[in-house]
Amino acid sequence: MIAFVLRRVVAMVVVLLVLAAIVFALQEISPVEPVRVKVGEAASKSVVEAERKRLGYDDPLPQRYLDYVEGAAQGNLQTSLRTRQPVASDIGHYLPASIELVLAALVIGVPLSLLFGIAGALRLRGSGVLRTVLFVLAAAPAFLLGIAGILIFYRDLHWLPASGRTSIINPPTGPTGLLVIDGLLRGEPNVTVNSLEHLVMPAFALALVPAVAVGRVLRGSLMANLRTEQVRAARARGLSRWRIVSRHGLRNAAGPTLAMGGLMFGVVFSGLTIVETVFAWPGIGLYVAQSIPKGDFPAIGGVTLLVGAAYVIINTTVDLLQGLADPRIRKDL
Amino acid sequence: MAAVEPILRPGFRPRRRGRRGYVRLRAMPIGDRLALGALALVTLLALLGPTLAPHDPLSAAGPANHPPSFTYPLGTDEVGRDMFSRVLTGLQSTWLAAFGVIAAGVLIGGGIGVIAGTLGGWADSVLMRVTDVFLALPPSILAIAVVTAIGPSLFHTLLAVAIFWWPYYARLVRAETRSLVVRPHMVAARLSGAGWWRRLFRHLLPGTFPTVIVAASLDISNLILLLAALSFLGLGAQAPAPELGSMTAAGLSSLLTSWWIPVMPALAIFVLSLVGNLSGDAIRDMVERG
Repeated sequence: MIAFVLRRVVAMVVVLLVLAAIVFALQEISPVEPVRVKVGEAASKSVVEAERKRLGYDDPLPQRYLDYVEGAAQGNLQTSLRTRQPVASDIGHYLPASIELVLAALVIGVPLSLLFGIAGALRLRGSGVLRTVLFVLAAAPAFLLGIAGILIFYRDLHWLPASGRTSIINPPTGPTGLLVIDGLLRGEPNVTVNSLEHLVMPAFALALVPAVAVGRVLRGSLMANLRTEQVRAARARGLSRWRIVSRHGLRNAAGPTLAMGGLMFGVVFSGLTIVETVFAWPGIGLYVAQSIPKGDFPAIGGVTLLVGAAYVIINTTVDLLQGLADPRIRKDL
Repeated sequence: MAAVEPILRPGFRPRRRGRRGYVRLRAMPIGDRLALGALALVTLLALLGPTLAPHDPLSAAGPANHPPSFTYPLGTDEVGRDMFSRVLTGLQSTWLAAFGVIAAGVLIGGGIGVIAGTLGGWADSVLMRVTDVFLALPPSILAIAVVTAIGPSLFHTLLAVAIFWWPYYARLVRAETRSLVVRPHMVAARLSGAGWWRRLFRHLLPGTFPTVIVAASLDISNLILLLAALSFLGLGAQAPAPELGSMTAAGLSSLLTSWWIPVMPALAIFVLSLVGNLSGDAIRDMVERG
């Protein structure tokens, strides 16, 4: 057991170091001169040279890589070309909006994938139609879902707002940074309601594709589980259908489903960049999208490092949880 | 060791593969046949797209912001370019790009998988640890970083995605290879003196083919959506090239006044991805039926 955990953690550290090496290498080959950015365009050549030496840019490559990893571990990520702010503080500024959006997408996506998976596996009435509808919708690019939503629910029906996090002029800034929760904490329910209205469309556009992918895995592995001997035995003992699904089906199907959910985090991030652009949502996705046309590599490299690390850590955690729940996986490696 | 002459009955002819394919097609459910038909149609449209376009996709063909009509089936954009011609041309780069990246992934990943699977030992361990590391990284995020670092262009985008797209195929082909090399027909081929290359191309690779083709066809739609997302972010062919994702992004500002400008290219991506999904399922069913 301890050996299993250790192996996975060591593997995770190796992957994180490779991730840092990739971002570091890309930074080296990108045309951006970080020292130039720091001292400004007008600085003389000698000033640039002196600054290069002082900041260690003339050190040998391995030394620079180690410095880079050390800096990143302490939350020190270069300076953005576009905003002229440290990338770390930019991310801190944009992250809460994205976290709120991703949480809202989870609130929509998890029940959707459970419904899709369970209804499909039990062949409930209407599950065929649901499956077809979701199968078709999941093929749509996130921006099509977004703009179709804006045209229908904003332009035609006037039900939902089409851009931003809130239409309240001075929204509360803290303590959590999530407007829905801050509104409640500060006793301003209108803020909560307003930001919930703003969340509906982007969260749905973000959640749909991953929810269907996860739901398909759940459905497949539930169906496989419900065909096993133990389920037949349970049915023969007279257990109710719901009890069979929850105790024998869902428990065994949880592993592959969670694994797919972890992998979907990458899709959610690329979805964030799109959905936040369409809905002018001020999160890190929009930050990345706006940095791309400016060729702002420090900003994008910083976000890549952060989001990539989150992806690796989430998937390792899922792996560990699977190992804890299922001894067969532990034995395997 | 002298090669053993195969003993053939007089008049023996190897069974023709084409005929079997035909029979399989006829036994297919109607839905699957429609899906494969749509696949063929889209591929044809993508290949012929630019020649079928009634107008020049890069210059004005009529009044600006003209809604869809008989002359301009998908309307015209902010500068009067014919959307139908632009979408047809954009279809080509998206569709072929997705196929190109898949082909690169299959070739690189397949090559690594076959080498790891046949050599075994430390070569296998090293190659698979490298694959595992790449498999643990998120392709979409890294592709964005790579393209920003080396500068946006269609080729750079394809390169960036292909770098992170092979590990899945490497794992798949390696697993398949490991199970094939110990099969009796491989042993028989070696005993009958077939050389390494012959065993590879005649006995091993055909065995991995069904698994790879199924995985690749189910993968097409993922790639179309990823490439469209990258193009939407400005990481594909640069303006004014007609690319479906970047056309949608550029048309967003006209969404509330001329909805067809961002919607039509986005719908085209939707159709491509849906056809990819449906035909992927059809191909899987076909291969599983044998």
